[in-house]
Amino acid sequence: MITDPLLKVENVSKRFELRKGTSITAVEDISFDVAKGTICVLLGPSGSGKSTILRMVAGLETQTTGDIYLNRTSIDGPGRNRGMVFQAYTSFDWLSVRRNVEFGMKINGVAQRERSERATHFIELVGLSKFIDAYPSQLSGGMRQRVAIARTLANAPDILLMDEPFGALDAETRWQMQELMIDIAEASGTTMIIVTHDIEEAIFLADKIVFLSSHPGRIKEEIIPDFKSAGRLKNKEDLLALPGYGELERKIMRLMREEGHKS
Amino acid sequence: MGGKRWFEVRSPVSPRRAILSSVGIWVAFFAVWIIASSAGWVNPLLVPTPAKVFQATYTLFAEQGFSTDVLISIGRVLASFALACMVAVPLGVAMGAFPAIDAIFAPFVSAWRYLPAPSFIPILLMWFGTGEAPKLALLFLGVIFFLITLIADHTKEVRKELIETALTLGANRTVTVFGVILPAVLPNIVIAMRQMLAMSWTYLVIAEIVASTTGIGAMMMRARRFLHTDEILAGIIVIGVLGLVFDVLFGVLHRRLFPYLERQR
Repeated sequence: MITDPLLKVENVSKRFELRKGTSITAVEDISFDVAKGTICVLLGPSGSGKSTILRMVAGLETQTTGDIYLNRTSIDGPGRNRGMVFQAYTSFDWLSVRRNVEFGMKINGVAQRERSERATHFIELVGLSKFIDAYPSQLSGGMRQRVAIARTLANAPDILLMDEPFGALDAETRWQMQELMIDIAEASGTTMIIVTHDIEEAIFLADKIVFLSSHPGRIKEEIIPDFKSAGRLKNKEDLLALPGYGELERKIMRLMREEGHKS
Repeated sequence: MGGKRWFEVRSPVSPRRAILSSVGIWVAFFAVWIIASSAGWVNPLLVPTPAKVFQATYTLFAEQGFSTDVLISIGRVLASFALACMVAVPLGVAMGAFPAIDAIFAPFVSAWRYLPAPSFIPILLMWFGTGEAPKLALLFLGVIFFLITLIADHTKEVRKELIETALTLGANRTVTVFGVILPAVLPNIVIAMRQMLAMSWTYLVIAEIVASTTGIGAMMMRARRFLHTDEILAGIIVIGVLGLVFDVLFGVLHRRLFPYLERQR
């Protein structure tokens, strides 16, 4: 039995109008889909329009041509069924960690009791239970991203969109966060699209990598990291030890280099 | 001093030296004043000694009912400033949140900022007579346009990602404005109010000197007629102290209202 993918991007292009008469094509004729419960990584050099694609899926930008379907329904503007985590810190500084995580549920009319339970659950999931009553200014960068992730998940989106979510973090925090995302995917079955330019991150997280070329952004290749035959790995060092990892990393580096020479 | 030189580029000053420095500059100021006025370098009628000024300040409050004038002045500042905030806060936030509203009001408001408020005094007197209205109108005109612009600018600085986060969490327009933009900009609104309240005191003095029989400025103009330079200086000091007190109060208010900003790691 073939089930419809959760998200379907069909022949999407995005042109930005600059000054009168001139325009720039950010992405051109993009088609891919994301199956329920999987992690799809958009990978590519800068200028490949990967963030633009994610923003169109989120409804924060409108595509010039093409269609995006979530559960077979065409996307029209932002909505709570597509949660987004940004690279920049987006914690609401005036709210405690708990209130931050409750924010989405509150504005969507979830009752106080359920709100509180769900918030507690997701704060625990991201490992911030000790900081539940803290304010964001008391937290480190990694912890603030955990708040953003918990806040998005607690709102029960159909798909979690992440735009270079760990780009501003130091290396150690970064791989802890990557492992956290695997834990979350395994625990909750959340479908995710993650934008990154970090090859190692892409291979570690992805069930499928959509590799984009630049200027304009086009899909160059869809890569299934099938060397992870036993499924997702919880520890990053296990990934590096796996046969096939080095080969895939070299392959993607070559793709990146080709794109680099082109521009 | 150790091996270190007395002053270095961007090198922090110890708390002790900071206190010594700040006290020192005032001691020097009063020393010059005292010496100049008691040694006869200046006309004592025009520059009274500090002691005489403080004596005059005491007499004003104790015997001449100066506190009534002070209260009237404070009342004028607060009333006009409250009016200005009632207009500027909603309008400034609306301009910062909605480019459509900004497009209407920004060209109007920014043009008014270049018209000096005191130049309206003659026409305000003709419109409103000599009661409280022209004074309140001047103070209002003096701060309103700057306050609107400051608040609108601060609102525009609310980061796009915060707004987009709200939208992707399912926020509608009302929630985005009142649940995210407003609380995000509120600390800066209070800072803008603090800055503009200081400016209010400037316009108060202008209003009271030019067209008033009550208030601190009016007292100073009366004192001028009788060559009471000590009372004029007393008035200046009282205004300065009041400005400082309100500034400190606003600082306290800011810390009370926004404790989450204070707890930086």
